[in-house]
Amino acid sequence: MRSDHAAITVLPVDLLIHIIDLVPEPSDRKSIRLVSRAFHRAECLQRRDLKVLRREALSILIRCYGAIERLDLSACAGLDDGWLAAALGGGAAPELRKVNLSRASGVRWRGLAAMVRGCPRLEAVDLSHCVGVGDLEVAALAELAGLKELRLDKCLGVSDVGLAKVAVGCPGMERLGIKWCLEISDLGIKLLVKKCRDLKALDISYLMVTNKSLHSISTLGRLEVLKMVGCYYISDDGLHYLNNGNNHNTLLSVDVSRCHNVSSAGLASVVTGHKTLRKLKASDCFIELPSDFLSKFGVLTNGFHTLKVDGSEVSVPRLKTIGANCKGLIKIGLGKCKGVTDEGISELVSNCAGLKTVDLTCCHDVTDDSLIAIADSCKNLESLLLESCSLITEEGLEYIGTSCPNLQEVDLTDCDIDDAELKSLSRCSELRVLKLGLCPDISDGGIDYIGSKCEKLQELDLYRCTGIGDDGLASLVYGCKKIRKLNLCYCTGITDQGMKYVSCLQELEDLELRGLTQLTSLGIAAIAIGCPRLVELDMKRCTSVGDIGFQALARYSLNLRQINISYCNISEMVLIRLLWNLRCLQDVKLVHLTQVRREGFMLALRTCLDKLKKLKLPSNLRNVISPALIQILQDRGCRIRWVDKPIPFFMRDSPPSSPDP
Amino acid sequence: MDLKNTGVSISESSSSKASSSSVMPKTPRNLNPNIPFSTTQFGTSNLCFDSGANQSFHAYQPALGMQSLPLYHENKNKDHQVLDWDPRVMLNNLSFLEQKIHQVQDVVRSMICRREEGQFSNQANELAAQQQLVTADLTSIIIQLISTAGTLLPSFKNSSLPSNPPGGPMGSLIGSEFRSDSAKASEYEELIKGLSNAGDEGDELIKYVNACGGEGTESVLIEDDAMDGDNLPPGSYEVLQLEKEEILAPHTHFCLICGKGFKRDANLRMHMRGHGDEYKTPAALAKPSKEVSLEPAPIKRYSCPFRGCKRNKEHKKFQPLKTILCVKNHYKRSHCDKSYTCSRCNNKKFSVIADLKTHEKHCGRDKWLCSCGTTFSRKDKLFGHVALFQGHTPALPPVDDAKVSVVSDQVQGNDLMNEGSIGFNFGSTSDDVSLLDIKGADDDRGFFSPMNFDSCNFGGLDEFPRPAFEVSESSFSMLPGSYNYVRGNGET
Repeated sequence: MRSDHAAITVLPVDLLIHIIDLVPEPSDRKSIRLVSRAFHRAECLQRRDLKVLRREALSILIRCYGAIERLDLSACAGLDDGWLAAALGGGAAPELRKVNLSRASGVRWRGLAAMVRGCPRLEAVDLSHCVGVGDLEVAALAELAGLKELRLDKCLGVSDVGLAKVAVGCPGMERLGIKWCLEISDLGIKLLVKKCRDLKALDISYLMVTNKSLHSISTLGRLEVLKMVGCYYISDDGLHYLNNGNNHNTLLSVDVSRCHNVSSAGLASVVTGHKTLRKLKASDCFIELPSDFLSKFGVLTNGFHTLKVDGSEVSVPRLKTIGANCKGLIKIGLGKCKGVTDEGISELVSNCAGLKTVDLTCCHDVTDDSLIAIADSCKNLESLLLESCSLITEEGLEYIGTSCPNLQEVDLTDCDIDDAELKSLSRCSELRVLKLGLCPDISDGGIDYIGSKCEKLQELDLYRCTGIGDDGLASLVYGCKKIRKLNLCYCTGITDQGMKYVSCLQELEDLELRGLTQLTSLGIAAIAIGCPRLVELDMKRCTSVGDIGFQALARYSLNLRQINISYCNISEMVLIRLLWNLRCLQDVKLVHLTQVRREGFMLALRTCLDKLKKLKLPSNLRNVISPALIQILQDRGCRIRWVDKPIPFFMRDSPPSSPDP
Repeated sequence: MDLKNTGVSISESSSSKASSSSVMPKTPRNLNPNIPFSTTQFGTSNLCFDSGANQSFHAYQPALGMQSLPLYHENKNKDHQVLDWDPRVMLNNLSFLEQKIHQVQDVVRSMICRREEGQFSNQANELAAQQQLVTADLTSIIIQLISTAGTLLPSFKNSSLPSNPPGGPMGSLIGSEFRSDSAKASEYEELIKGLSNAGDEGDELIKYVNACGGEGTESVLIEDDAMDGDNLPPGSYEVLQLEKEEILAPHTHFCLICGKGFKRDANLRMHMRGHGDEYKTPAALAKPSKEVSLEPAPIKRYSCPFRGCKRNKEHKKFQPLKTILCVKNHYKRSHCDKSYTCSRCNNKKFSVIADLKTHEKHCGRDKWLCSCGTTFSRKDKLFGHVALFQGHTPALPPVDDAKVSVVSDQVQGNDLMNEGSIGFNFGSTSDDVSLLDIKGADDDRGFFSPMNFDSCNFGGLDEFPRPAFEVSESSFSMLPGSYNYVRGNGET
């Protein structure tokens, strides 16, 4: 045994690197890293991806992993210019190609400029949802001549000038997302198109741009993906430009969802002009789909695989036309479509045997016959979304369960199903995601079927399944060890015992426990100790949980990033301790904490000043908390939402002392 | 002789009582200078003149506004009668006029007599009344003369001029009024008084309209030399070419006696007073009245004296200039040194001072800056520039001062706008002979420093010598000027 150990340790570094290359799981890699110094060094040299959660560790990690190419800082709490410049400004990661700074709201142009100096070979930067980012920040990025991919979604301060900076500075840009950059106009798009001729993917969703922009975009010879969701000023004329443009053979994907001024005639011209089209999304665009438009799909090559027409009126002949013309369909989205019936579905799927994703959300007329037809035709089905299809019964799910072994995702929210249906569904052993919200008839027995069969389950939604108790959780946890996301909101039968079972889920990251009034500090403490990976926790209205539970969270759940403790009985001191100790905390909801005084709030917020990105507070605190504190928070990129809701009656009379037993 | 049947509009003016004796008064009036006029035949007219002096303007407004249109039609209806005019009637009219002039002469003589007799101090009021009477009479004589002459004009019946020359409608008004009721002498008198005012006003109005028209073409010219608005076929107009010296001359009006030059004719007339009493008469001081054009004037266009210029008549694609003002501005802009430099940016130069003024209003307010240092007042111009040149990018404003500078710019902008509007008002009112102009009888600088008009961008009263018409240009220059400035940037 000892000799084996020695044999491995003397392996040369290059061989070790080769071995580590073949280990995908992060936990396994961690084990490797802990074997010896040599292994650790090899792992450092081999690692290409790095995700950093705390700013204090950033500099050390970057120095350690000098060979990284992709760096994810989207979850790094309290990241600001100083930390970013210290970590990347000195050229510690010269090979860095891709940086994800999504939601890093504390980063401004100084930090980005330092990063650009230190990592001149950067090719992809993600700044999405940094609402404070403006032209200055983008101008700093524009120094990267080799930048190919840039996401600026919801960078509200970016205007045409910033876009022009990028367009001129990064002529090799290939993928650009400027969704929700509301300041950008036709002028900016025109210049972008003129300067960046290699653009392959462009997202201009929700911009106030007009057909002129499409006129410019149509000249791009290599465009593959074009997203323009919610562009109200774009009309059929713009789509005609697109048809007459230079990208006849390149355009693969078009998304015109929520473009209310676009009609099927305009879209038909896009379809006929681009025979290589693979994806077409036109949700909430038109009220009805003319059949002559649908018949245009016949000219497309067999590669056309995704069609999404949510919110339209789709009658039986229309679905038949779709089926006849799009034989290669893999995904179809018919959410909230009117007129979808069993006959239509069977006409559709009889031609499209390759369907993997079927979205029938809110198609209320769908019954078991549809499911039988789908089960008969689509053997490779992976995702089936049936929210609010309340006519389906166990019979249909039986067929699905037996015929579709690859099914990975099922949404049965609000379908009035009970244990019998779950029994049918539990045949799908590959299930990863299961949503059973608003099905109060499900009992512990039904969960037992799932727990015993679906070992690979990762995500389970039991929102308001009031029939579920602790025993159901016991059997679930026994079978499904891989669960990462669990929603138990308002399953009021669950007690501390159930939490003790849940605490056995080692992989659990996201737990929602809203309104579980029977939970006490014991249950929460069990979760805190048992689920070290917990990132999100929602305890809104868990009114019986007391200070001990929160102290346990503060002590053990150090990875918590989001926490909702609104309406909870947390005392001032514990709140301060909680916010101080949770070092990764970024998103806090603190509505109606009746036991916390104004000074307590101020102190608590001071302790987490530099790490918060989102904060929810009751509006009656607005005039109480010092404006300077609010200003500091906002300057550091924290968004504060003020909630104006009355304090519920049961809390007004609650005793100020801790209700812990 | 029945006057109404002859169709002659005007044969009589202020005689109210004896229409039969009006043609040939049997007794000369006012032989006795001691009898005040108020008791004689002029009495009513005098009285009514007094009232007219107070009310003439107000009374005139409705008269012109409401009556002019039907009267005009009436006039048209009897045009064919006007056409076959009777020489005898004309003779009658002329003799009547002669009579009238004699009467006025008598009045004046009587005034002289009284002054010699020393009654001046006693009857100052009466004398003043007589003076007014003389003025009124003279006015009516002049109007009658014009309208009499008007009956002869073949083009009068057309009255095709869109801007209603003062003679036309006035004559018709008088005629119709007379025809309708000759007994209403008081109203008639009032009307005449009003019309004489209106004549002046109308004249001014026409001039003003013309000035505006000139401005319009000027602005078009600024916008693009190639777009003149009218595409007259070559040969349909007369081409005039001013010499370079004429174009660049600071003065256009010269005193024939001493040779001093002036920018405005009005200033010249004021100057002429110093050369003798004959230049002090109201006639000499009055504005030279515009003659009614007998036939459509030949369209005039102008050529630039610069050889090879597109605006030169030798050029293959000759495009004529519309007005003298266009010629002057074109020549200065295109073929002269740019001698005026903006004092703010020390960069922009202009050859026409109005352009400089326009620029100065906007200088420093350009917020669209390119990395190469060029500034633009409009975003699309900047983006066009950036698209054109490799490596140029829009420059960002300085990090911290951005907000402050924007605010101050806005404040400045508002001030400028206010000043501009002041300048506009002054410019338009002082377009004609204004008090200020009379004071500043020549172009020496510093005349207005006590009034301190320079500080408010007051168009025509700046310190620089310039032709008279540029007054109005600068006062209008806010709109066309802004474009001009942008164009200037676009070229750089």
